[in-house]
Amino acid sequence: MARRSPTRARGGKVAPTPKPPPVGKKGGSSFFTSWTALAVGLAVALAAILILVSVLGADDEPSTAAVTPAGTVDGAEEVEELLAGIPQDGLAIGDPEAPLTLLEFADLQCPFCRQWAGDAFPALVDEYVRDGRLRIEFRPMAFIGEDSGRGARAVLEAGEEDRLWHALELLFRAQGPENSGWVTDDLLEAVAASVDGLDGEALVSAASGDDELDDRIGESTAEANANGINSTPSFMLGPTGGELQRVEVTSLGPEGLREHIDALLRR
Amino acid sequence: MSEAASRRTIAALALVGAAIAGYLTVTWAADVAPVCTTGGCGKVQSSEYAELVGIPVAGLGLVAYLAIFATALRPGPGPAAVGAALALAGVAFSAYLFVIQAFVIEAFCLWCLLSDAVMVLLVVAAVLRLRATNADASPA
Repeated sequence: MARRSPTRARGGKVAPTPKPPPVGKKGGSSFFTSWTALAVGLAVALAAILILVSVLGADDEPSTAAVTPAGTVDGAEEVEELLAGIPQDGLAIGDPEAPLTLLEFADLQCPFCRQWAGDAFPALVDEYVRDGRLRIEFRPMAFIGEDSGRGARAVLEAGEEDRLWHALELLFRAQGPENSGWVTDDLLEAVAASVDGLDGEALVSAASGDDELDDRIGESTAEANANGINSTPSFMLGPTGGELQRVEVTSLGPEGLREHIDALLRR
Repeated sequence: MSEAASRRTIAALALVGAAIAGYLTVTWAADVAPVCTTGGCGKVQSSEYAELVGIPVAGLGLVAYLAIFATALRPGPGPAAVGAALALAGVAFSAYLFVIQAFVIEAFCLWCLLSDAVMVLLVVAAVLRLRATNADASPA
C-alpha cells in the first residue's frame, strides 16, 4: 500500500515548504553571520600558518661560527692572498698617492656590509687598489648592537698595526646572527692567529672597552651624520685629498661602484 | 558606509599598501637598504624575519594587498569575506612583526610601520563592508 505523503495536499498539489527561520535580521545589521565566521576562521588559519613558519624559520638559522680547529678564521688564506703586498695605513688600504679615495661606512653586524665585503671589495682591490688607482678608507659604525661596538673597536685596534682590512674581512666572513654575542674573545683570538702582526690579547682588550676607540667610532658616526648617511654600507668617493661626494650604489657587487670610479678616473 | 563606498576605500588603501610592499620587495631583490628616516629599515629588511622559506615577507605583503584589491572589484558577501579574512590575517601578522621589531631586532622599519597602518585601516574598511553586504546571507 502506497504511503501518503504528508506534504501532498488534495488534488495532487504540493504544499509550499515552510521557510526556515531567518538566521539574523535582514539588511546586514546582524554581525555574527556565517560569512563573518568564515572570514575570521580563514584569517586565524592564515595568520597562524604565517607566524608559525616565521618562528620555525628563525629558529633554524644556522650558526655562522667560523673558527677552524686550528684556531684560525675560515678564509684566512684567501684574505691574505687578496691583500698581500698592498700598503695599509690605519684606516686606509692602497697607495696614499692614488688619484681616488673611497670611504666605506659599515657596521660589522650589517649583513649588506658583509655582502659588499665578500662580493665587491675583492673585485675593487683587484681592479683598482692593487694598481694604485684607488685607496679605500674604513669608517666604523656601531648602531646595531653590542657586537657592532666590539667588532669596530677590534678592527680599529688592528688598524694600529696596519692590519685593519685583514681583521675587517675576516670578521665579516665570521659574521653571526645580530646581537648574539658572536664577536667572542675566541673569535678575536682566531683573527689575530690568522694575520701576521696582530696580537690576540690586544684585540680582546680593545673589544671589551676602550674610550679612545669609542671616540673614533663617534667621529665616524658624526661624519656619517654630517653627510646624511643613515644606513650601511654607504660610500663617499672623490679625488684623494679633495672633496668626496656621497655615492648611491644600485648593487652590492663591484658594478655598483665601478661606473662611478671609472667616470672619475676618466676626468 | 555603503558597500560601494567601502569597496572604493578598500581598493584605494590596498593600492597604497601594494606600493609600499612593492618598494620593499624591490629593495630586497636589489640587496639595498630602503630609504629610511627611522634608521632601522636596513636592519629589519636584512634580518632573518624578512623572509619566509626564502620568500620575502614584503613580497607576500604585495600579493596580499593585490588580492585584497581584487576582492574590492566584485560586490557581494563572498568577496567581502575573503577580503576581510586577508586583512585580518595581515593585521595579525603585522602585529607579530611589530613585536619582533620592538623586542628581537630592536629596530623599526618606517615602511613596515606605514604598511601596518594601512593594514589596520583595511581591516576597519573590510569589516564595515562585511556588515554592509547583507552579511546574514549564508555561504551554504
